[in-house]
Amino acid sequence: MISAYYFGAISLVLIGLYAVLVKKNVLKMLIGLSIMETGVNLLLVSIGYIYGRSAPILSEGIGPNQAVDPIPQALVLTAIVIGVATTAMALSVAIILYQKYGTLNVEEIRRLRG
Amino acid sequence: MVSILKRSLAVIMLLIIGYWLAQGLSGIPFGQDKMLVGKYYLDNVIRQTGAINAVTAVVVNYRGFDTLGEVTVLFIASTGVGALLWAKRRERTAKTEGSIVLKTGIRLLTPFVILFGAYIFIHGHLTPGGGFPGGATIATAFLLLYMAYTMYEIPRRAFENTEGVAGMSYVIVALIGLAIGGYFLFDWIWQTWHFGVNNVGRILSGGFIPVIYTIIGIKVGTELSGIIDNMLREEVRE
Amino acid sequence: MNVQYASLLIAIPLITAFFVPLMKGLGEKAIKTYVLIITAIQAGIATWVFEEVYTTGKPIIVMAGGWRPPVGIDLYIGPFAALFVLIVALVSFLMAVFNFRAVKVEPIDKYAMLFLLLMLGATGMIATGDIFNLFVFMEITAITAYALTAYNKTGEAAEASLKYMVLGGIGSSFFLIGVALIYGATGTLNMAQIAQLAGNINPTVAQVALALVIFGLAVEAELFPLNAWAPDAYQAAPHPVTAMFSAFVVKAGIYALARILYLMSAVGTWKNILHLLIAMATLTVIVAEFSALRQRNVKRMIAYSSVSQVGLIGLAFALGTQAGVDAGVFQMINHAIIKVLLFLGVGYVAVQLGGAEIENFRGLGKRMPLTALGVTVGSMSAVGIPLFNIFWSKLRIILATVDAGYAWAAALVLGASVVEAVYYFRLVHAIWFTGEGERLRESAPLVAIMLLLIAIIVAIGIYPNYAWSLSQKAGNDIFNVAQYIKNVPLMGVGA
Repeated sequence: MISAYYFGAISLVLIGLYAVLVKKNVLKMLIGLSIMETGVNLLLVSIGYIYGRSAPILSEGIGPNQAVDPIPQALVLTAIVIGVATTAMALSVAIILYQKYGTLNVEEIRRLRG
Repeated sequence: MVSILKRSLAVIMLLIIGYWLAQGLSGIPFGQDKMLVGKYYLDNVIRQTGAINAVTAVVVNYRGFDTLGEVTVLFIASTGVGALLWAKRRERTAKTEGSIVLKTGIRLLTPFVILFGAYIFIHGHLTPGGGFPGGATIATAFLLLYMAYTMYEIPRRAFENTEGVAGMSYVIVALIGLAIGGYFLFDWIWQTWHFGVNNVGRILSGGFIPVIYTIIGIKVGTELSGIIDNMLREEVRE
Repeated sequence: MNVQYASLLIAIPLITAFFVPLMKGLGEKAIKTYVLIITAIQAGIATWVFEEVYTTGKPIIVMAGGWRPPVGIDLYIGPFAALFVLIVALVSFLMAVFNFRAVKVEPIDKYAMLFLLLMLGATGMIATGDIFNLFVFMEITAITAYALTAYNKTGEAAEASLKYMVLGGIGSSFFLIGVALIYGATGTLNMAQIAQLAGNINPTVAQVALALVIFGLAVEAELFPLNAWAPDAYQAAPHPVTAMFSAFVVKAGIYALARILYLMSAVGTWKNILHLLIAMATLTVIVAEFSALRQRNVKRMIAYSSVSQVGLIGLAFALGTQAGVDAGVFQMINHAIIKVLLFLGVGYVAVQLGGAEIENFRGLGKRMPLTALGVTVGSMSAVGIPLFNIFWSKLRIILATVDAGYAWAAALVLGASVVEAVYYFRLVHAIWFTGEGERLRESAPLVAIMLLLIAIIVAIGIYPNYAWSLSQKAGNDIFNVAQYIKNVPLMGVGA
């Protein structure tokens, strides 16, 4: 059986993917993408976790053998920033779409384009 | 009818993907020590970089290229948002001024929020945090100003220039490393000058980590404020 | 000279892109000239790197921060990367010339930054030797591409960009899960060390991880079924950017795919992944060719043709043989050249005559004869007619496919080529044998670029040996993983 943390992370990814695939509102799709990213980040962090160890800040009695893996945490930091950047870009594209078509429903947009 | 069919198809597909992912993950034990390179970092981080926060040392020093890329990604986002929402004339169109509580509170708090952001990025090598959270905190101060006052706008030109200069400074710090140490992104402050060797665990240590995090903090702060500004102003047609 | 100076390939576009905001008031001409100069400098550095790698025969390993891999991130500029970094820089330079004519939409300063960063992203993707760093550069490329796709700010452009973004977002999440699995299984992110440890990974984990990574990269590499964004984005993007997408952005994606694929070749379940990829690539070719047949817009038609040719490259890489990889690299070079020529010609026609619909191409032979010549040579070459460069690479790919025992795939691809011939000849027919018109003045620099590209196409077509030997060296760089591991000065952490 897989761990609860992995299970949670995969569930978030799948929930996000569901929103992207099924929802018709552009904003809801983008929220779905963000949820997916969160799931991936959670997965990365849980892969780096080691039972009984503390955050990798080596002060006050935390030696190298009492800390969890620092790399996944560094990766997550990068991934979060990239996620933010994608979301910002996507939102400004959504603003243009709304200006041009007056709606954020993807089916409506497709219909208006003909 | 069609939508129910589509939904159930999506659910079935997701379940297959989920099962498949779970199969892959079951081969990776949770909570076990699987470190290889990570162990090296933990063992050598203080001696090699002077930072006690191993995560920041990895982010800025060992894997500095990622961070440079990360800064670039954020720069692209702010540039891209600026490019897409560009218009000859744009103005803020908010109609209601914030309440008196919000306005007074923000007038009092803004300097402290900015100060706290600066605190976070200056202490990046000692405590959790660093340039990105610090910069985001600073941008929050400007977001609050936008919320409270209908007329407030950031000094756009100055912010864009600061953003550019901060980005260039990061590359220049990296290029100084190339000139002094022979490697791009080489930590010349720690490894050549040995600055702050006796100060580990205090603020004046950590090689170029605090320097770079200050640059990143300023850059991220101005960048996110710029994105907020771009999104909150709307095109005015004559 | 210290080879670490190759890191300037990353540093120069970055620092110059950051400088652009400071020269905002200088006007359109100045900024476009600035971009032209920067791309020229980049091409100069890339030429030096290329010389260095091909004369010494040893790859340049740039170690960021002075940390030896796997502790630090390394850039691995071997024969393949050196060649393609040069192509990226040269294509960017040519397109910087084209910018003067083709890009009028404001704000030019932002366009200039995005243009430089697109070049940077592709360079980084090709050069990096670290799998997570690859993700970062892929995102740099992708996010710039999203912004540039929507740059014209029309409804179609925004919709294309959104489509790209949704697929790209799903792809990057999948890629990152794959990276997480690989990291969890090996404890390292360095490509060489992953290759070293690949044999010990639990085969199920490796298979899932590799499939995820391939799905993630397939968005950038435009493989079916994740390439729905490509024709829309190609059509909506500014013309120079379209040429860059086709010439190197997609190439960077497919290279990354091939690199990771071969790094993991020690994995027990590797053959399954190859079968998956061959199916994807063959479907890409067929679906794209048949879609191209229906198009009225020439830019979109060539976009579909580009997708199909990239599918062909994917097929070559998926064969798992040395011959296949070499042929794939050869096709990558040739395809980059002809697609720059075609998109330059078509874009120029669209700028001059107000659109890329097939109607505008009637009588082009009389109105803009030199541009018409460029488009014609590009079309002929794309179809695979002897004496032009693609003939040789298509031939090699098909021979390699048959050799590897996939005669059915070769037959399908050949059939698709017939379809390709139909629509390209329709275009050529429209250009030369229909319509009338006044002769227009053609821009001298653009005509010069087109003639240069035509000369290269014919030169490779008649005398393919030099380009072929380059491709063989570059292909060996991808295929020979043992040599790759040996070239990277691993520190021996943990191993």
